[in-house]
Amino acid sequence: MKKDNSQNAVKVKLSRTDRIFNICVDAFLIFMLIVLVIPLWSTITLSFRPNHYIGSYLEGMFLPPWKWSLDAYHALLGNDGFLDAFLNSFKILVGGVTCSLLLTIPMAYVLSVHTLPGRKWINIIIMVPYVFNVGMIPTYLLVKSVGLIGHLSAVFLPTAISTYNCIIMKQFFEGIPGELKESARIDGCSEIRVLFNIIIPLSKAIIMTIGLYYGVAFWNDFFHAMLYLTDKYPLPILLRNILIGSGMNEFVESNAFGNAPIQAIKAASVFMAALPMVGAYPFIQKYFTKGTLAGSVKG
Amino acid sequence: MKIRNIVIALLIASLFCLPVFSQGSKEETSSTQDKLIDITFWYNPANVEAGAPPADWFIYDRLKEELGINLILTALPSSATDRDVKMNAAGAANALPDMMHLRRPVMINLAKQGLLAPVDDMFEKMPERTAKMYNQDSFAYATYNGHIYGFVASTGDIKKNEGILIRKDWLDNLGLDIPVTLEDYMNVMRAFTYNDPDGNGKDDTYGYGTFIEITASEEGLGRRLDPFFGAFGCAGTWDLSKESAGLNILKPEYYDALNFIVQMNLEGVIDPNWLSQKKDDFKANWKQGKYGMMREQNASYAAESNYKPFDKNFPDGEWIVIAPPVGPEGKSAVGVYTNVNDGVIAINSKITPEKKDAIARMLEWMSGPGYYAIGWGEEGVNFVFDEEGVPTTNGLADPSKGFNKAEIVPLLQLKGLAYYWGEAELKSRYPSYITEYSKKPMSALVTLREMQAQPWIKQAGVDLLPLPNGDLKRYYEQSVAEFASGNKKLTPESWDAFIKQFKALGGQDWNDEGVKTAKELGILY
Repeated sequence: MKKDNSQNAVKVKLSRTDRIFNICVDAFLIFMLIVLVIPLWSTITLSFRPNHYIGSYLEGMFLPPWKWSLDAYHALLGNDGFLDAFLNSFKILVGGVTCSLLLTIPMAYVLSVHTLPGRKWINIIIMVPYVFNVGMIPTYLLVKSVGLIGHLSAVFLPTAISTYNCIIMKQFFEGIPGELKESARIDGCSEIRVLFNIIIPLSKAIIMTIGLYYGVAFWNDFFHAMLYLTDKYPLPILLRNILIGSGMNEFVESNAFGNAPIQAIKAASVFMAALPMVGAYPFIQKYFTKGTLAGSVKG
Repeated sequence: MKIRNIVIALLIASLFCLPVFSQGSKEETSSTQDKLIDITFWYNPANVEAGAPPADWFIYDRLKEELGINLILTALPSSATDRDVKMNAAGAANALPDMMHLRRPVMINLAKQGLLAPVDDMFEKMPERTAKMYNQDSFAYATYNGHIYGFVASTGDIKKNEGILIRKDWLDNLGLDIPVTLEDYMNVMRAFTYNDPDGNGKDDTYGYGTFIEITASEEGLGRRLDPFFGAFGCAGTWDLSKESAGLNILKPEYYDALNFIVQMNLEGVIDPNWLSQKKDDFKANWKQGKYGMMREQNASYAAESNYKPFDKNFPDGEWIVIAPPVGPEGKSAVGVYTNVNDGVIAINSKITPEKKDAIARMLEWMSGPGYYAIGWGEEGVNFVFDEEGVPTTNGLADPSKGFNKAEIVPLLQLKGLAYYWGEAELKSRYPSYITEYSKKPMSALVTLREMQAQPWIKQAGVDLLPLPNGDLKRYYEQSVAEFASGNKKLTPESWDAFIKQFKALGGQDWNDEGVKTAKELGILY
């Protein structure tokens, strides 16, 4: 039978100072909330501005919903460039997360095995390039020499394993009781089977969390796409083009979005680009807290 | 066991999926075709937000059929900084394309490394293009170490395309004449601010609307206030006159001009938000009838979609182009203009003479037989010629495929390579129309001509002059803004102190180096 903890709760009478402190904290948090919500609200309302809206920016933020318009979204989704870029980003996302997890999980597991011969040296070999980055030109030469220039995989293969994510995952694996692995080995499991049958089923939280980290990084990756791709650019590049290009296009009669207001297009594209990650987050949230705490508490 | 199977299946699936991420190499495909010369070209798209031309673009076919060229395009990023990074990385990896759009500093950097081919010998192979598009200014712009390393690229800019616009209906309402001198300007601005020019009974108008829009050749308070500096003979960053070359800010006239802006600010005739507001706010404000005067760009004011909100709000409203104010010594200028755009098309030094010839043929074709195809699309599909020989969409069987429609924009991504801003181009770009609400004829081209007829200061080659260091630039812009806004009191003493510090931060060196460069380049007028 469950106890009703609320009945046992001790009521603590707050002093005046405590109450003032709490009010100040609440006020500060509300202020922070407003600070965070304003740009979000501004972007959303801006994306719903009708064509030829001429009110001020502030008035536009409080435009009643029945005056909102989908003009910008119609123009954006009707643009082949946007849909192509969205698809390219999706391919990079799927390919990148799959590749990264397939490579990071075994690597983190191997590093978590304390009996690994030369473990210390392997750790050093991994940590040195993490601290001293190899730089853009050598990486470009490598990508070119393996023939990946112009391929979407060039965006995610060079950065498929993040040392930081690998270390977090390794810490999580080290936290799994050694007895579980030991008993599996006694039963005749190979290390690969220990990984697949024992470690991975117990590590959903960290796998989802690291997957989200990778996903966000690949979805937003602008630099590698800009550097290595020659065609079929992903969403971050298009988004930047829209943001920069709008200044030039006010002087011409036609642009890729017809008569739709360019400010609304900008806001709509920002909103659309953020949507997949925002949409995915609630499904991963239950694992996320547990995963991000991995390795944070010792003992 | 089950999980292991899933992981193995995922591994195998990912191997099969790898080709999905491959885009296929166009080079490989094309090299299998006989007798075609592959030309890779990294280009600045005309509309950066639109996609690349489709794979079945008719221009590709025409280039193959008419010139034996297989053109392989790669769109460069929209930001100049990103483009530079990509180009420098490719240069360092010795992986430059055959042709590329470059900014001049990158061009010089790559030319120093021997990665670019001189193109001096190519101009005679493209006579029509050279006659239409290139002149001594453009040759000078692309010259390094005695050789021309690129063809100046058009980015769609038209020169002298801004001007002072004034609300004619407000002048009439208040019984005022068109202002001529600085004093007239101040009187009209005062009346527009305080005499309720729109008759709505509200104190909601300003004499002059502006915002800070700075470029390398229009430092300080930027181009939108340049007409007032022009009245004192110090518009723009530099004075490129033979007798007094140097930075304008170091001249006594600059103090007087800045003092006039301070007076505008003190009198309250200028929109008080001018230092903080952005271009979008500025545009919204004039369309809402808050400004009586402004410096604006022709199409930004008069193109159909831009003028429409103002027309809807004020069907009786009317803007006209007027001459910039005349200063105490009779000087007057809307601002400065340069003949050269910031970009060149350069050629890889590794290409064969055969390929170099093919590039010359292609560029000549773009100014000749392929001119309309590159600039407007397919005749009969995307445009037809009107009776004056100007491309138009009137009379197209399917108007949705007109060259001015959003869907057609990807087909015109190389139009910057063909346009030279001839009469037909301008008429096509700025068609006349009847406004929707006030039913009056409008034309951004007529406005352009009126703006171009005003006094301007020619500064061809000003883009080649050195730039200030970051600290100096910040100090310059911030201090001038503080003086203009009244945050820092403008007196001869405070100005002298500012100039002293300006020079100490590198302003004197910047001035001396700029004058020396201008003399070497022969761009003093």
